[in-house]
Amino acid sequence: MGAFWTDPCAKCEEMLQPFLDRELTDDERAEAEKHLVRCDYCGRRYRFEEHLRRYVRQATIEEMAPELKQKLAALRIPL
Amino acid sequence: MSEATPETDARRLAERARDRVRFEEDALSLSDQVYRVARRLVRTREEAEDLMQEAYARAFRNWQAFTPGTNMRAWLLRIMTNLNIDRGRRDQRTPDTTPLEEGDYFLYNKLEEAVGPPADEERVVERLSQDNVVTALAEVPHDFRDAVVLVDIGEFSYGEAAQILDVPIGTVMSRLHRGRRILKHKLAETATVES
Repeated sequence: MGAFWTDPCAKCEEMLQPFLDRELTDDERAEAEKHLVRCDYCGRRYRFEEHLRRYVRQATIEEMAPELKQKLAALRIPL
Repeated sequence: MSEATPETDARRLAERARDRVRFEEDALSLSDQVYRVARRLVRTREEAEDLMQEAYARAFRNWQAFTPGTNMRAWLLRIMTNLNIDRGRRDQRTPDTTPLEEGDYFLYNKLEEAVGPPADEERVVERLSQDNVVTALAEVPHDFRDAVVLVDIGEFSYGEAAQILDVPIGTVMSRLHRGRRILKHKLAETATVES
C-alpha cells in the first residue's frame, strides 16, 4: 500500500473505489480530496469512474418480456 | 386465552388469505426490478426467465417466511441466488486466473491511449458500446459478477448484498472491488481491439 507522501497518484488510484463507495475514514477522505483538488490526472480518472458506473447500470438494462410477467402472475396460488 | 370458534377461525383464514394476496401483489410489482438483476446474474435471457419463474413459484409457496417490513426485493433475490447455486451453475465456474496487475485507472488510460486525451470524461465512456459492456460483464467470473450485479446494477448496499449471497460483508467488498477491476480489464480489451 502506497502513501500520499511517496506516490500520491498511486495512493489516489488505490482509494478510487472506496472513495466513491464512501467507505473511507474522514481522514483518508480528506487526504484524497486534498490531492484531487490539485491533480488533474487523478481528477479525470475519478470523474470517468463515476460516469462509467452510471453507464454500466444503464447499458445492462434489459426489460422483461410482457409474456414473462403474465407467466409470473399465473404462478399465484388460487384462493 | 380466547377460545377458537368457527367465527374466529374464519376470520383468521380470511386475514391470512388477504396477507397472501397482498404479498403476491407486492412481489409481482417488484418483478421488473428483480428481472434487471436476474438477467445479469445469468448469461442468457432464457436462463433469466427460467430463474424468475422458479424463484417466484418458490416465493409464492413460502410467502410466510417473508418478514413484513423487510426488503422484499432482497428476499426475492436471496431465493434466486440460492436457486442459481442449486441449479449447478456454479459447477462450471472457472477460477479467476486473470492476472490483474492493473489498477483502477487502467481502462481510462487505455481509452486515452487509443484516441488521445478527451475533452471531458463523459465522452470517454461513450467510446464503449452497450454491447461491449454487456459482453464484458458476462465474462466476469460468477462470484465477482454477482457482487457487481447486486451493488452496481441492483443498487443494493454491501450489507444487503452480503445477506443475499450469504457471505460476510468483507467478502462482498473484496469481490466487488476485484469484480469491477476485472470488468474494466475486459472492457479495455474489447475497446482496444475495436479502436
